[in-house]
Amino acid sequence: MYSQSLAWGRRYLMCPPEHFGVLYEINAWMRAEVRVDLDRARAQWQALVATMRAAGAEVEVLEPVEGLPDLVFTANAGIVNGHQYVPSRFRHPQRQGEVAHDVAWFEAAGYTVSWLPEGMVHEGAGDALPFGGALVSGYRTRSDAASHAALSRLTGAPVRSVELVDERLYHLDLTFCPLGERRAIVAPHAWDRYGAKVMEALVPEPLVLDDEQALSFCANSVVVGTTVVMPACPVTVGRRLEAWGFDPVVCEVSEFAKAGGACRCLTLALDVDVRMCGSEVGDGPRWDG
Amino acid sequence: MAVTEVVEIEGHIVDSLILAKVMDIILAAGADYEVVDVHIGKTNTDVSRARLEVSADDDATLDALLVELQAHGANRVAQQQHAEVVEADSAGVLPAGFYSTTNLPTAVRLAGHWTPVENPEMDCGLVVLGDGRVRTVPVHRVQAGDRVVIGTGGIRVTPPARPRGASPFEFMSSEVSSEKPKSHIVAEVAARIRLAREAGAKVLVVAGPAVVHTGAGPCLARLVRDGWVDVLFAGNGFAAHDIESNVMGTSLGVPVEGGTSAEGGHANHLRVINEVRRHGSIAAAVDAGYVTGGVMFECVRRQVPFVLGGSVRDDGPLPDVYANVVEAADAMRALLPGVGLALMLASTLHAIATGNCLSSGVETFVVDINQAVVTKLADRGSHQALGVVTDVGPFVSALSEQLSSAART
Repeated sequence: MYSQSLAWGRRYLMCPPEHFGVLYEINAWMRAEVRVDLDRARAQWQALVATMRAAGAEVEVLEPVEGLPDLVFTANAGIVNGHQYVPSRFRHPQRQGEVAHDVAWFEAAGYTVSWLPEGMVHEGAGDALPFGGALVSGYRTRSDAASHAALSRLTGAPVRSVELVDERLYHLDLTFCPLGERRAIVAPHAWDRYGAKVMEALVPEPLVLDDEQALSFCANSVVVGTTVVMPACPVTVGRRLEAWGFDPVVCEVSEFAKAGGACRCLTLALDVDVRMCGSEVGDGPRWDG
Repeated sequence: MAVTEVVEIEGHIVDSLILAKVMDIILAAGADYEVVDVHIGKTNTDVSRARLEVSADDDATLDALLVELQAHGANRVAQQQHAEVVEADSAGVLPAGFYSTTNLPTAVRLAGHWTPVENPEMDCGLVVLGDGRVRTVPVHRVQAGDRVVIGTGGIRVTPPARPRGASPFEFMSSEVSSEKPKSHIVAEVAARIRLAREAGAKVLVVAGPAVVHTGAGPCLARLVRDGWVDVLFAGNGFAAHDIESNVMGTSLGVPVEGGTSAEGGHANHLRVINEVRRHGSIAAAVDAGYVTGGVMFECVRRQVPFVLGGSVRDDGPLPDVYANVVEAADAMRALLPGVGLALMLASTLHAIATGNCLSSGVETFVVDINQAVVTKLADRGSHQALGVVTDVGPFVSALSEQLSSAART
């Protein structure tokens, strides 16, 4: 027996875009000359929060900080595992200032902070999502493969390392979206052939995106129960989701796409227990009951 | 010059196919790997760990490969000890605490890389050349200012690997025995010589006077004539009796084809040595028509290089004999590059002397009626030597029969 929906994804940490902007270029999408319409960004962010709440999610708020425009992308704050929080170690100095604020929030919320060894690079849930009893973690562009063993030791979860080979899809959460215990949205062309093979074995029922669909960032969706909150929904993807019993809801986040992020990037699930996610844990407790 | 580096990788490297990928990347870069060790996690959550020794043809390839491997989490093993190097302060003397070599493949860690020793030879020092290469150097050849490796840190010796599987010599596996079928062994030695030849390796023969005494001289001469011998090491006795048997028909006074001692025969080899000395060299004696057959004759005719090493008890000696043993050893060393197979025939002292200079990679067969010779060679570090305990006469005769059917021009 397996449950149709995910065992996690009902509580999120998000950060309002008061200080959001494209102030530097650290991925293929960012162009410093592009202006962000802050009013539109605020409206899009509020609409996203409303949609998620409507779907049944709780949203916690992280205070925005001036000079840290990417703090809105809370998916990169770290990895949540039960009451444990593993802060990210960012590759780019532009984002390293976010860590202190993230850690302060988690400490105040009562989480135990476990640090990756210094010198390792890993960008949190943006590059690590639980599936099938393992923590799937991307590497190369923004996280280092060498951090995966340390991540496994800290969380106790087996890690499946997947190399990201398309610099436009620079984080795992642009290429992979768990939908349930057996199903996930996948963009295999963004992975090397070894990673694609590993994921093929891990995901029994994949919803495979083609190149164009993946570049619409539709894998960067937030799954709340059976609601899939998506930045875009290509027709065939929507049909398949509906056939599987999901309710795809498009939430426009075009201002955030200017910085290379979408719905999932703007959220960090707080109810994840990486060791309890997947069929290998049998009939143990579930976050969603 | 091959350079190597050990990298370590850990994580769920089996389930994530990272180990397979890393191995594929190494091979695709034209480099090679050897698994140093692998620890597989016992449960689904345990991480696995592997160490691979990566070898590439040059530093540039290796460095580029290491950068690529790092991206997949394979990092060079940190803090490996480097070899300590000091300058020799006087010629002919190694610094105190010098690393004393074996004949096994050896690598020295310098400037972040394992550098293989070019010419493994036992009982030498290791000298780091200006271009980073490392060579073995016998003590008397050390020059003041040579950079010599001291201590044992940062030195790696590869233990000898015995051939596995269906190797023709599996059945002999270094054991010395007189109780093995000789015809089969002769056929195998012949096959190994052919294989060495096909691989472009030179064949070295080390011969003692018993080869001539037992009547095998003409057979060995035929092997030289047919081109199966590329280098010959021997002493004054072998060359003198070889020439004696061809000029006088006796070996140490005993007719090679007769059996009973010839009258006054004990002086035959002295007369022969005397005449060769009159000519000035064996080659001159051959040119003058004084020597018209035999092993030395064929060597001169085919321009097969030979070294005759002298000893205290030598009669004469022949003019070609090195009276200075250090010079003799250097002359032998000079002929060793390219040698892939050594056949030591009924010679104790020259076999051991040669064994001292050979890398463990040189396939070595020791044919002697005395088991102790093979044991002695092994005791002195030539573990690669395979012994055939038999009378050298019939052995060489059978070997030349085996090889003559496939004469090499």
